[in-house]
Amino acid sequence: MIEIRHVNMVYPNGVRALNDINLNIDRNEFVFVVGASGAGKSTLIRLLGLEFPPTAGKIKVLGKELTRLRRREIPAYRRSIGVVFQDFRLLENRCVYDNVAFAMQVVGARPRDIRRRVPEALEAVGLLDKARMKPQELSGGEQQRVCLARAIVNNPSLIIADEPTGNLDPKTSMEIIEHLKAINIRGTTVIMATHDREIVNALKKRVIALENGRIIRDEQRGEYS
Amino acid sequence: MLIRNILHYIKEAFLSIGRNGWMSFASVSVVAVSLFILGTFYLVNLNAEHITAELESQVEIIAEVAEDLTAEEIEQLRVTVIQLPEVEEVRFVSKSEALQRLKERMGEEWVEGYEDEERNPLPHSFEIRTIVPQDVPVVAGKLEKIPGIADVEYGAGVVEKLFRVGSVVRWIGLTFMVGLAVTAMFLIANTIKLTVNARSKEIMIMKWVGATEWFIRWPFVIEGIILGLIGALIPSLLLYYLYGEAVNWSQTNINFLPLLPSYLVIGELIKLLLLLGTIIGALGSALSVRRFLKV
Repeated sequence: MIEIRHVNMVYPNGVRALNDINLNIDRNEFVFVVGASGAGKSTLIRLLGLEFPPTAGKIKVLGKELTRLRRREIPAYRRSIGVVFQDFRLLENRCVYDNVAFAMQVVGARPRDIRRRVPEALEAVGLLDKARMKPQELSGGEQQRVCLARAIVNNPSLIIADEPTGNLDPKTSMEIIEHLKAINIRGTTVIMATHDREIVNALKKRVIALENGRIIRDEQRGEYS
Repeated sequence: MLIRNILHYIKEAFLSIGRNGWMSFASVSVVAVSLFILGTFYLVNLNAEHITAELESQVEIIAEVAEDLTAEEIEQLRVTVIQLPEVEEVRFVSKSEALQRLKERMGEEWVEGYEDEERNPLPHSFEIRTIVPQDVPVVAGKLEKIPGIADVEYGAGVVEKLFRVGSVVRWIGLTFMVGLAVTAMFLIANTIKLTVNARSKEIMIMKWVGATEWFIRWPFVIEGIILGLIGALIPSLLLYYLYGEAVNWSQTNINFLPLLPSYLVIGELIKLLLLLGTIIGALGSALSVRRFLKV
């Protein structure tokens, strides 16, 4: 599902963030990308989200080679993946329901489908009863669950999450992970960058460890270190 | 483009104008002021051209005929003059007609005692119009060399100055108008940039969930067009009213310099302002969204 070949990333300021990365990720996998700050986790996630192209190498996702996508093909690609951020990125002036519906309106979905899919997504993350509340009336964990609902509402086959529990306490973090697990079981590939040791060790999923922009470890049912 | 999307764009545009009430007010004001000044210049320029043209068309040459010519010689002279390529019209003014005119202009007592044909001191003359007013000095030069013409008169220096002033007025007006249009566009670009800035987070999220660039752009472009149109409507109405008043005032107070009548110019002006407002708004917003689309 994801094929990464000889990927290098050097930022314009000269920082070498990724060094000859080679990686295969299959459909339905749940993958942790771990490492210290500055190891290159975020860069890898952002490359998958097409925030920028790699300096060298090839990235193939869902059969599409990202480096060959034309500018106007990027939106269609982004619709096929769901993205979750550490800092939530919700619209404060809109309620929970509208935040999730927004992701469907933006891609031109039919109102009928929006009315059907948004409650389903909110139900999946257990927030249907808070649909009319504004993000700032919710706890951090609840806000991140809204983001999960927004990420899955368009039925993506891949979810990429950049430190989704970075701003949350351990108990709330585990809740988010349980939701991600459930999403994964329903057939969505999940790639999550984190430096939360407890979560990684508890789940026993595939772990890819980065250090100084290189893969130093890639284990099925791995641990944090 | 889907109808559903179009409705969404228009709704978003109006919501945004409401959300950024003060900013929208500022944009509209900027456009209104710029277009008001521009419209004023347009009217002034148009009237300046009209008045110059009016004055230019009144420029004619008076050629006095030498005293001792016979009627036949005068007729031959008339034919010579009208055959000059630059000349459009030649009118013969006889001694007595000239005197009659003088009498009308200055009053009976001025011509008393000279009314008799023998004692009339005024010469026969030709009034000559050229096809283009700019040729007046050239024709005057040629006339002076024709035997039988005693004297040539035209508002020598005045004519040349008039032409020069006319073209200077035109160029200053044009330069000002272009400058103001560009200024107004950058001002609206800046104002919409602020509303775009206020919504940069929204735009970023839209990009991340896969909105196309035009889906993001349209609401802002429509917002710009609405602001530009409202901004153009205000000076249109204002100038419509003010110009009408100006025309009325000029008719009673300075009727020797008549302004162009309102119905001839105001329709064109309003069309121009609305068009400019739309262009300014659309271009301005397109300019300011562009930067945010590069995620």
